[in-house]
Amino acid sequence: MQPKHVHVDASRLVRPAPLASLPLLPSTAKDRYFDYCLEAYSPRRPWQGKLRSENLVWHALQVGGTHDALAAPLLAIQRSLGADMTVWGVKWDGARLFWELYFYDPQKEDVAARASSVGATLAPWLVLAPVVRETIPYMMVSFDLTHASASAGRIEELNLYLTGQKEHAGRSYKVRGDGSVALENTYRFLEAKPESDAILALLQSSLFVDYSDPRVLSKVLIPELFACKKICVSKKRTCDAIYYSGITVEQLLWFLRRFEYPAALVEFVVAHQDELEHLYFDVGIDYRQDPVSGAMKYPKSSYYGTL
Amino acid sequence: MHSHKGRFEPTRFDDLTVTVDFHCHSACRFCIVQEGMNLFRGVPIEKFREAVERNQIAPRYRRVTFTGGEVTLERKLFDYLEIAKRSGSFEHVRLQTNARLLADESFTAKLIDAGVDEFFVSLHGADAKSQDYISQRVGSFDEAMAGIANIKRLGAVLMTNTVLTTLNVDCLAQIVDTVHPFAPARMEFWNYLPMEDYPDERDLLVPIAQLGPAIRGALARAREYGTATAVKYVPRCILGEFGDSEDNSQSDVVIVEAFYDIYPKFACVHEARCEHAETCLGLTHSYITKFGWEEDALKPVARTRPWQEPEYGGWSTSDGPEGGPLLDAQSHPQWRALVDGVAELHGGRLADVLVQRRACAFRFVFGDSSVDVVLTARDSGPALVRSKAFDVHYRNVMGEVVPALRAIIRDAAQAVVERDRGEMSLDARKGLVGPDAVRARPASGARKDAR
Repeated sequence: MQPKHVHVDASRLVRPAPLASLPLLPSTAKDRYFDYCLEAYSPRRPWQGKLRSENLVWHALQVGGTHDALAAPLLAIQRSLGADMTVWGVKWDGARLFWELYFYDPQKEDVAARASSVGATLAPWLVLAPVVRETIPYMMVSFDLTHASASAGRIEELNLYLTGQKEHAGRSYKVRGDGSVALENTYRFLEAKPESDAILALLQSSLFVDYSDPRVLSKVLIPELFACKKICVSKKRTCDAIYYSGITVEQLLWFLRRFEYPAALVEFVVAHQDELEHLYFDVGIDYRQDPVSGAMKYPKSSYYGTL
Repeated sequence: MHSHKGRFEPTRFDDLTVTVDFHCHSACRFCIVQEGMNLFRGVPIEKFREAVERNQIAPRYRRVTFTGGEVTLERKLFDYLEIAKRSGSFEHVRLQTNARLLADESFTAKLIDAGVDEFFVSLHGADAKSQDYISQRVGSFDEAMAGIANIKRLGAVLMTNTVLTTLNVDCLAQIVDTVHPFAPARMEFWNYLPMEDYPDERDLLVPIAQLGPAIRGALARAREYGTATAVKYVPRCILGEFGDSEDNSQSDVVIVEAFYDIYPKFACVHEARCEHAETCLGLTHSYITKFGWEEDALKPVARTRPWQEPEYGGWSTSDGPEGGPLLDAQSHPQWRALVDGVAELHGGRLADVLVQRRACAFRFVFGDSSVDVVLTARDSGPALVRSKAFDVHYRNVMGEVVPALRAIIRDAAQAVVERDRGEMSLDARKGLVGPDAVRARPASGARKDAR
């Protein structure tokens, strides 16, 4: 079947549709609660009268001007994998919003979560160009969604994640449509407070940050986010990254403001803070030091929920 | 108490602090409500009267503390004192004051006659030079010392409070010397909390390397004199052999709600490994951002019990400035009666009743599992069910969610609905909001002679 190409109205990219038009999706008794590794958690508060976390990604798509283009393929994904089983990420590089979807199947038990199946689900709207050999023992596959991919109707790259051994030395590989592959990053998850010593050691083993000034650590291990469940330390090709998992909506708001997300995103969370208080969120921050000034730079950050 | 997974300042829910108003005749260089001075309003007297009446029906508070601003400047203070005294429902009435107006012995006597039995005096310098520099008022030290003398002469309890900043870190032991002749029941040392000044542009935060020796020196001097001490917001490990002086508890303060928006949170990178994690707060986020985590300077004491991320701060009993044993927690029989017998029906037990100003938490235990069934003011938000006066929720589920725990939650909620006759209540808000809370700012550029 030939995939349909999405027509994106360019004027809509500049002037998004009115933001009040999206219906809010309430929490229900059927909701399941997962972090960005698709590990289950108990909600902080009773779900009654609250909102599902997917409201955040729908709103961000709208703010970013891609809701109309991407709503149908995302809904198809949700139908295929089941509600709450797809992790979404909203990413911000200081100038533009983009998105990432993550599909977990560490036990190879859910056909729908395989790269080839996800590609088939998206096919009416988007071509998932890379071809993945399904015998690779990947535990997760992800790909970015951008204005460009929505406009072209084509996703050129995806990421395969392989788990490590005892030390949880996870790796991710970039797989491109032309068949080329590159090691993209390594990562390790740790309990935030009980394993703080190991976290410090991993953070300080860095090519991109000079920790000889003791004040530098607090620009990476950020006190406002340290009160979380898990921290993931990642080493990437051109920077380091840290992920805070299991933060509250209050911390999410702090994060959105600190990293200067578009005002509409902040205002949405402010407006619905009480209705999101039952959830935990996850956030990620890429960072590297400017080699000349020593100032910490944050080229990209992101927040996560489930769809 | 409003935060989750952060560090908590233990709150003494038996002690109520009422902000009367926000004016001051000093201008301390470290003031944490500088922006709110003359702008924030205090607790309306009607609200205070209601709180006192509720306290007579279902006793919660043993002490009331009046503060400001400088509370002795407020004529209406005596109206508040009269309500407190007439109610007979407080064991102690405390004033937090700079003691400058107490230099007038007759005024001090009038306060004591009105029911004040404890004075908590701010003293930030060891002599006129240091104190007057910090307060930016010449003569403030001499007035405070005269006030302190009057407090002692008239037989009230004297406590002092010194805020630790770069402005006085070099004279802490001398401050102990200065106060010693007046035999204070306790001297408190509160580390400066950056609130309106998160980046600490005023350079008031003292690096741990400098603060440690200075505070230990002051505590050693107090020990020589036999003076009880309490230290707040300084990591316990920095206090060395004086670690027992750490007491981060605070009274339950009713103040403009905006105050809490900028109230500091704390963290310590060693929290999960330290025996004192439940009582020591660590460092403020502001300090960590400015000076770093101090991971080498802070020394955790190895834990002897498993660490668990706290949902609430620990229980803190009412203040005991005389150095005697802390008062027992109240049993709160009226509140306990709302769910009495429910847990036993399912083989569980009611382990604790925590009555706070805005919430009442019933902690139920079944085997290794536990849950808190929580009451808040009615219609304050989503709820499992609502009784006459309360919204009923649950939270803080620990251990396996066994059927008995579900049954306890269901039946406890039902019991509250059936037994609540609307006689007890909880505050809907943490602090004061709306027109009651703040005065209008003068128009920008308004001239003094414009009226």
